[in-house]
Amino acid sequence: MIKRTLKTWLLWELVMGLALTGRYLFKKKITVQYPEERTWLSPRFRGLHALRRYENGEERCIACKLCEVTCPALAITIESEERDDGSRRTTRYDIDMTKCIFCGFCTEACPVDAIVETQEFEYASETREALYYTKDMLLDVGKRYEPQIASNIAADARYQ
Amino acid sequence: MTELFINDEEVTVPAGTSILEACRANDVEVPYFCYHPELSVAANCRMCLVEIEGWPKPAASCCTPVAEGMKVVTQTEGLEKDRAMMMEYLLINHPLDCPVCDQGGACKLQDYAVDHGMGKGRYVEEKRIPSDKDLGPFVNTCMTRCIHCTRCVRFADEIAGTGDMGVLNRGDHMLIEGVVEDALASELSGNLPDICPVGALLDKPSHDVSRPWEMTRHKSTCTQCPQGCDIEIESRNDEVMRIRPAKDGVEPWICDRGRFVYDAFRSDNRLLSPKVREGSALIDVSWDDAITRAVSLLKGKRVGIVFSPDWSVEGLTAIRLLHDVAFEDAQVAFELHRRDTRPFAFEEGLSMSAKAIEKADQVVVLGSDLRQRLPILMQRLRKRANANKPITRIGAMFYRTNADLAVDVLIRPRDWHAVIATAMVQLNELGKLAAGMDAWIEKVDARHDAGKRLADALIADSCAMLVGEEIRSHEDAATLIHGIDLLMRAAGHAEVGKDGRNLLPEGMNAQLLSGVFGDIRTSAGDLFDAAANGELDTLLLVGSDPVGDGLFSRQAKAALEKVDLVQVAAISGDMGNYASVQLPAAAYSEIDGTFINMEGRVRVADNPLSTLGEQRPMWKVMMRLVQAMGFDVPAVNLEEVRGKVVELAPACTELADVWSGEKDARTIFVPSARNKGASYLPELAEKTKALDLVGRYSIYREGAWVRASELLVEAGNIHAMDDVIVHPDTLKELGLSEGKLTVVSNSGEFSFDVGLRTDVSPGVVFVAKRGVAGDLSTETSVDLKGGQS
Repeated sequence: MIKRTLKTWLLWELVMGLALTGRYLFKKKITVQYPEERTWLSPRFRGLHALRRYENGEERCIACKLCEVTCPALAITIESEERDDGSRRTTRYDIDMTKCIFCGFCTEACPVDAIVETQEFEYASETREALYYTKDMLLDVGKRYEPQIASNIAADARYQ
Repeated sequence: MTELFINDEEVTVPAGTSILEACRANDVEVPYFCYHPELSVAANCRMCLVEIEGWPKPAASCCTPVAEGMKVVTQTEGLEKDRAMMMEYLLINHPLDCPVCDQGGACKLQDYAVDHGMGKGRYVEEKRIPSDKDLGPFVNTCMTRCIHCTRCVRFADEIAGTGDMGVLNRGDHMLIEGVVEDALASELSGNLPDICPVGALLDKPSHDVSRPWEMTRHKSTCTQCPQGCDIEIESRNDEVMRIRPAKDGVEPWICDRGRFVYDAFRSDNRLLSPKVREGSALIDVSWDDAITRAVSLLKGKRVGIVFSPDWSVEGLTAIRLLHDVAFEDAQVAFELHRRDTRPFAFEEGLSMSAKAIEKADQVVVLGSDLRQRLPILMQRLRKRANANKPITRIGAMFYRTNADLAVDVLIRPRDWHAVIATAMVQLNELGKLAAGMDAWIEKVDARHDAGKRLADALIADSCAMLVGEEIRSHEDAATLIHGIDLLMRAAGHAEVGKDGRNLLPEGMNAQLLSGVFGDIRTSAGDLFDAAANGELDTLLLVGSDPVGDGLFSRQAKAALEKVDLVQVAAISGDMGNYASVQLPAAAYSEIDGTFINMEGRVRVADNPLSTLGEQRPMWKVMMRLVQAMGFDVPAVNLEEVRGKVVELAPACTELADVWSGEKDARTIFVPSARNKGASYLPELAEKTKALDLVGRYSIYREGAWVRASELLVEAGNIHAMDDVIVHPDTLKELGLSEGKLTVVSNSGEFSFDVGLRTDVSPGVVFVAKRGVAGDLSTETSVDLKGGQS
């Protein structure tokens, strides 16, 4: 009872609060000056999608459509055909980024590591249309980010 | 009946059933690959092992018959181990390519690998790589995936009857081989991918395009032949991707024609919006504009109506309603295959089910190429022949059948009277009589030995008489059918319950048509002649292609060049070249509608695909025309049209109960018409031409839908024969030799490369219904002469 009265009249809570504020005042700052500065991103970061190619230039996607069927937001649309050489390939591979919820199920479903999510997250646009990614756009993303994608997959491989 | 215990539950099954079938009948799951209910038992996959109390080892359930008091267990630790080992063996050479395999998602091997497999393979050695086969335009092969269940081999042997697949070697070296490369010479080849439990045999046209889980399934009825098979149309986003037999359908198979006609649904030939002719081109317009143009061509004009029978019952009735309201005097024709429009003693349609025909003591096929026209019925007959039950056939050609026929006789079409008269005489001698027979016999002097064979067949206790196209399209068809009717009466096959009189129809809904249009039908040939002579202004063509199909292409061509054409159709086809206005009608996959097949079986489609274009159901198009011409519309909704069906066709009264939901469509049969007064005596006139002409029918060519399907056209090219075929003796008698010969007919002279075949009756010229040869199909008799015309 006496302890409580003392704490009340000596503004103890206030002192404790100010002490916390004081500690942070002199601590190293974690605020990042985006866009000049950037935070570290996990190899599992789920950003913009990319379609990958093999080293010989052949596209990885085999049109199995598992990503399409697993997508909870129905953001993926695929059409496929037998190519002249007899292999199964997509003729259309679209992802509607306005629908996508970046759950990463497509990446998990892909048996050939063709559809992946990069660490890219700066692709805002002024129109909705620009967020409708076609096969060519996705392949282009894959081309640009391949070193990053490959190193991320390698970094995460032991946990797969 | 045998009582046994399956997993401690008592079940009762017919004696002789296998344990696997008993399990399936009682919803107990037993995995299997090689078993198929329609095929013989091979027992080579060893997946269906079950334990039986008192037996030392697990038994293959597919080939072990049930026994009284048997105690079967389907789930034990030991069995799971066996199944896991079996799966490991099967997967040794199976590639891990499920993501690119079309079967993925609908694959037994995949499912069982998850349910019974080990999860991890221990096999690290090299897998073997058998080479792929060329099995024609419909079947894609990937033999590395094959698990050697031999279902395809048994199918080719037992069902298709072509036997063009077999097994080579054994053990690890076992191979499925096509005996005949290039083409699987069967009209049922499309069923192979369906029976393959893995992805070794796949549907070629839809290969690599879609996945099983993307499909929406719509139950429907195939209208490509009078068989009217139950089908399931698989669609993705309202686009037809595949057609397969319905799982609970009457027949387990469908033919390639009914299956691959889906290519026509998405072809350029499909009519999806109203069009009118501007100069030489047809341009898309609104419905209002097209209807205005159609009315200007139809109203107050002399109109002829020609339609095809494969529309729904409601659509066909609407055509009659349009006729009654707007064109009461118009000529109506729908039979492009009937020269004789007198009423037949028994009209088109079967009096027995296909199953009953299979079981009858005798089956007589008169002048029909059943394998091309009704492959699924032929399949039933084949089953029958395999069980050593007799089939008697008389016709102008030994049409290929795949079945052993007990009696097979060649005759010329002009001999039919003599054949029937001889059979009558034979029956008379046995004391089997019918009123009117003597008068019939008296009129025919000639006799023919084939008649004795016919009489022999008729003596059987039950006899299914299948009267085919050679008689149906005969100039004197009504007389011949009356003669056959007399024969059947005399032999006792015409009584209620034993009625064996079946006239194979050309298209669907034959029972409805003879009811609704029986009183106003005219010969299509006469109608076209009238049009060509300027007696008509406009032709209203509803879904038919009289140039490409039927007997009257020459007349139809002449008529179409003379008159305006208003075409209502789902497929534009060659008729598009003549049309002034085209109105798009919904196809059989896109409507709520009723269909009646040749047996009288009724199917109501109520789960249509949504339409891709502006096409409307036939009854709506017809009623719109009525309204636009300023008449009172007789039916404004589907219920009212259905009311009119019952009003117009007394044979279809039971349909009302089906539509109201009181009766199940599967419980009723619409009987085919019988005309008591249709008795005619033969009046034989001497033929001026020496040879009889018979038109050939190809499953891959006849019908506007079929010609719009590139897949079927391709198959037609593979199976094509010479345009004109004769027996070598025919030429010998005329002193001619093979090569370019001239056919002399009433409609002119045409020269052809004439092929020789010994399976054609001497004295018969066999012509294809395409190109210039199609013009000949009007004729019934011709002469042959050497050289070019």
